[in-house]
Amino acid sequence: MSKRNFKFHMSIQTVNQHWDIFCAVVDNYGDIGVTWRLARQLAEEYQLDINLWVDDLNSFSHILPALTPDKRSQTFNRVTIHQWNVPLEINFVPGAVLIEAFGCELPEQVKSQLIAQQQNPGDTPPLWLNLEYLSAENWVEGCHGLPSMQASGIKKYFYFPGFTPRTGGLICEKSLLEQRTAWQSAPENKLALFTQLGLTGIDVQDKVFSVFSYEAEALAALCQLWQGADQKIHALIPKGRSLNSLTHLLPCSVAELAPGQQIVIGNLNLHILPMTDQPSFDRLLWSCDFNIVRGEDSFLRAQWAAKPFIWHIYPQEDDYHLVKLEAFINLYCDNLAPEIARCWTELNLAFNQDQQSAVTLHWQNLDSVNLPLLQHAQKWPIYALNDADLATRLVQFVKNS
Amino acid sequence: MKTAHEIRPGNVIMLNGSPWVVQKTETTRSGRNAAIVKMKLKNVLLDSTTESSFKGEDKMEDIILERLDCNYSYFADPMYVFMDSEYNQYDVESGNLGDASAYITDGMEDICQVTFYEGKAISVELPLTIVREVTYTEPAARGDTSGKVTKPATIAGGATLSVADFVKTGDMIEIDTRTGEFKKRA
Repeated sequence: MSKRNFKFHMSIQTVNQHWDIFCAVVDNYGDIGVTWRLARQLAEEYQLDINLWVDDLNSFSHILPALTPDKRSQTFNRVTIHQWNVPLEINFVPGAVLIEAFGCELPEQVKSQLIAQQQNPGDTPPLWLNLEYLSAENWVEGCHGLPSMQASGIKKYFYFPGFTPRTGGLICEKSLLEQRTAWQSAPENKLALFTQLGLTGIDVQDKVFSVFSYEAEALAALCQLWQGADQKIHALIPKGRSLNSLTHLLPCSVAELAPGQQIVIGNLNLHILPMTDQPSFDRLLWSCDFNIVRGEDSFLRAQWAAKPFIWHIYPQEDDYHLVKLEAFINLYCDNLAPEIARCWTELNLAFNQDQQSAVTLHWQNLDSVNLPLLQHAQKWPIYALNDADLATRLVQFVKNS
Repeated sequence: MKTAHEIRPGNVIMLNGSPWVVQKTETTRSGRNAAIVKMKLKNVLLDSTTESSFKGEDKMEDIILERLDCNYSYFADPMYVFMDSEYNQYDVESGNLGDASAYITDGMEDICQVTFYEGKAISVELPLTIVREVTYTEPAARGDTSGKVTKPATIAGGATLSVADFVKTGDMIEIDTRTGEFKKRA
């Protein structure tokens, strides 16, 4: 955007200064999880008027239970949530910023309005951003913030989240880490949460693991190992893809399982978790001794939980996800003693490659490095954030553009 | 129309009413298998360069300009000189070759396509696959024959790339000029 256009752009902000975020739900909780967190943070911490357009409110309602899926517009946490139908049934009014989350294709009506604004000499389209997926790979620094020239002449900018100062940062609410520290300082908090979630029989000294993975034979292998553990282990698993790999342990089909249901096999207690909203999910991760997470949103929240974790990364063609996994591992292990780094790395690689015997072997090795791994997990969030979270950098990026 | 993923160095695309020579493309993978294509572009009219990113499936107008099959002839700094079958010579600025310049070697026999805009040679497109000699690479370390283990190699002309561990100095290898990646031993 030229300086002349920027001045004009700023002047129309007084008329329509809201931001629009478009999100196409792909796998139920990932894309919408990230965009909902971002929308809330921008509204709450930067007092921005946010319109969040979502194409699947049913999925969204799993992480925002108060949402009414068949309502076209509703407001929560200062964010106006619009149903994104095709064709768009709600009139789109361009604001100051337009974000397409994860490269989703904007509705034709929206694109036509942008082009009309571009072609009208007295008008300027919103700053158009493509919020991309999080990756720790080096190339992200070279692509973050680059314009994407469209045939229409409108510039769209690629905004890449990332772990380094030259990327778009990581979503983390301003008071989140303080809240987590306070929560973890009182053991009764976790027991109260488990009770609130309908999970029974968990004592303060029991090991508690949360599991939110994709299907994985490696998970089945870990569950088998946990059955023979010398202490009680609680695996907290929501209905969904993780359980598809554990059907041989279940007394009924996954569909028939009820939240709060408990399946006891040896020393392993499988608890079926109810779906929770995002704040409760955060507290769940803070309360567990170990978290198995997936995709992007829960992966990041597990880091903020300051507990050891396995990242089950979204599988890609040609095993490219392993490149992404190793890029993160290299960053995460940068300041870690070699033997601890090796242990954690091998566990994550084995899980992601579904190596059943290797994953159980490396899990057993964790015992010897558990304390330093926990200490590393506690230091990591400050290192990963690099002084500024994604929303802060995004607002600054918009100001500078 | 082509997708960004199909655009190659040497193509000329129309963006915002101007023709741009694609000097370099770099394809990376974002989440869920989506491709991101980063391009270095040169505005044919203004002679200015810029970097831009595109989604792999973004559609763009690939301008069909006059093209001629040519052979590389010689380098006269800063011009690469190409010659057609009728022995006409065409000068192309080295900057306009982008990454392709790494594969230009004396005596190469690859048929290149020289693109013209208003009578001026503005870019050169190499064949999709070229064959080059490996001038140096370390011996295979682990006896791997799967091709999954890679190591760096220098090819004739000085460019470096990752090759399968079984490749030896002196081998002729096939290279994909869109990605600069090793394909197989020739």
